[in-house]
Amino acid sequence: MTMTEAQAINTTFLHDHKINDKESSETTGSNFHIPPPAASRMKGGNANTKRRTVQVISKSIFVDNRPNKNSDSDSGKFTEGSTFWKRENINYLEFTFYKIVLAELFFIYGIFRYFQLQYNKSKLKIFDLLYSPSNTPQLIRQDVIKLNKIPSRLAVILEVKPIGDVGGGLKGLLNDASELVCWTISAGVKHLSLYDYDGILQKNTDELRNAIFEHLSIYYGPANVPNYAVRIPHFNKVFYNKKGYGDGKGKVAIEVSLLSNRDGRETIVDLTRTMADLCSNKEMNINDITVDLIDTELKQLVGPEPDLLLYFGPALDLQGYPPWHIRLTEFFWEEDNNQVTYSVFIRGLKQYAGCKVNVGK
Amino acid sequence: MSEESKIPGNLFFLSLIKNVFSRTIRASNNVPKHVGFIMDGNRRWARKNEIEVKDGHEAGFHSMSRILELCYEAGVHTATVYAFSIENFKRSKYEVDSLMDLAQRRIRQITENGELTDKYGIRVRVIGDISLLDKDVLADIQEATERTKNNRRAVLNICFPYTGREEIVHSMKDIIKKQNEGIITTGQINEDMIENHLYTGGLPPLDLLIRTSGVSRLSDFMIWQGTKKGVMIELLDCLWPEFGSIRMGWILLKFAFRKSYSNVKSTGDEDDDDSAIDKKYT
Repeated sequence: MTMTEAQAINTTFLHDHKINDKESSETTGSNFHIPPPAASRMKGGNANTKRRTVQVISKSIFVDNRPNKNSDSDSGKFTEGSTFWKRENINYLEFTFYKIVLAELFFIYGIFRYFQLQYNKSKLKIFDLLYSPSNTPQLIRQDVIKLNKIPSRLAVILEVKPIGDVGGGLKGLLNDASELVCWTISAGVKHLSLYDYDGILQKNTDELRNAIFEHLSIYYGPANVPNYAVRIPHFNKVFYNKKGYGDGKGKVAIEVSLLSNRDGRETIVDLTRTMADLCSNKEMNINDITVDLIDTELKQLVGPEPDLLLYFGPALDLQGYPPWHIRLTEFFWEEDNNQVTYSVFIRGLKQYAGCKVNVGK
Repeated sequence: MSEESKIPGNLFFLSLIKNVFSRTIRASNNVPKHVGFIMDGNRRWARKNEIEVKDGHEAGFHSMSRILELCYEAGVHTATVYAFSIENFKRSKYEVDSLMDLAQRRIRQITENGELTDKYGIRVRVIGDISLLDKDVLADIQEATERTKNNRRAVLNICFPYTGREEIVHSMKDIIKKQNEGIITTGQINEDMIENHLYTGGLPPLDLLIRTSGVSRLSDFMIWQGTKKGVMIELLDCLWPEFGSIRMGWILLKFAFRKSYSNVKSTGDEDDDDSAIDKKYT
């Protein structure tokens, strides 16, 4: 019941995304048809690359002449003003020449990119077939037991996809998050940080707790669902299990922290403000502010630094992840991947363990 | 200079290609304004080729000048290179000394022969906690920055000795000091202010971060700037001395392509796909 309500609320929230992404609204056509997972990869938001490539090439080369000149004068402010104008007049022909060369380069790159994309997609499909958790913790355990080290803290960057996409909307996000929780527990990692830029998970804690519970009962059976804690560092709150299922005085199998953009730079700003006030009230000496002190404070406010960060997007983009907490974190992502899949998860753990991660990266 | 070829005119031809290419990229209007480099793998490269570590660093330096040349030619405004981490002080005394010596020579080399700095109008800045350095190194740095301080067209930041965390703390302390002196109020403190008080404050925001040698970590380099949404991070498998102009050019092309791609996407143009294709073929 609450699920559907929350979704209704979120539909309006995600509406912008939907409008922005034209491609997605095209594929949304039939709302009730959910494509099977394998086909979903091809139908995802970024599928029509060929057509888009052509569009991009034509756009940037034949249409964009004006803004181009404008920005030339932009960069001109770094040079001497008077010589600059002369240079541009002479260079108009030259400029056209370069535009044409650029068109050719983009064209070649576009063709290359197309094949690269196809290659990566089929590679990912093969990995999906190779690694499949089949909802059983034992299988995951078997994969992990071969590794000579596992991270003690894992972080994941999740993205909310447009509601029309596969795995889109709040439901998709919750689904991805709880799948990840199951894999992490099964792999024996005790801490998981889930980061999403807008903090949607933080706002929907109850739904998340329910979703995790549901998924865990698929993995472990409804009778032995492991205990879990969901922590929101920003509100300084900890929740145990599903609502009404014990207050978690016992041992927890996993602690899930929910982070958002707010926990990054904004928290550093808050800390600066507090310290500024303390210093001006003479309660603190400015020379006492050291890297170690800030580190202790931020660890308390946000949590410790993760060992491994998984990103389930097509190209690494840290999305404003708390900067302080990423100093020595190892990254893993698969090129052109757009789905939260077990194969990426396990290959990330493998890379961390120092195994050879083949091709692509 | 190490690339002298036996075929006459070859060098000229190569530089011509390089020029045409960089101007082409410039014409795309989607050049990264600020590029960060983690130059990793000099020592490993030396070991691989069974030469001295010192020569490995030397090769790394040549590779750096080649790449910076291409970048500036293509219209990059700021380049930031990671030369020495504060953490490196924890290494053995001998190694620290040799690294210091090397960095000092590099800084001198960049400014003294002046080819690079004069040609592209580069202002050299040394950023980091320079209070940790020896006096004579400091003097050299002073001289280098003094010599190029009137250059306006481009900037080269040399991070020496630097960590991203120290940079953030440094910025925080600056702001706290200002607040205590009554220049600003607590309420005025915000994200942009912290960003402007970083060592890279006032320069274009970081667009592209490149790390070589197959390690997928930031290693405390530009953690504030690099974690922003939309920064492209390129992690390469090759060692730094192997990282040449061709690869850099490819990355610039990739960047330009992707940027124009996302520009088209984000402007939410409602052009028909068919008309776009028509445009292409007419």
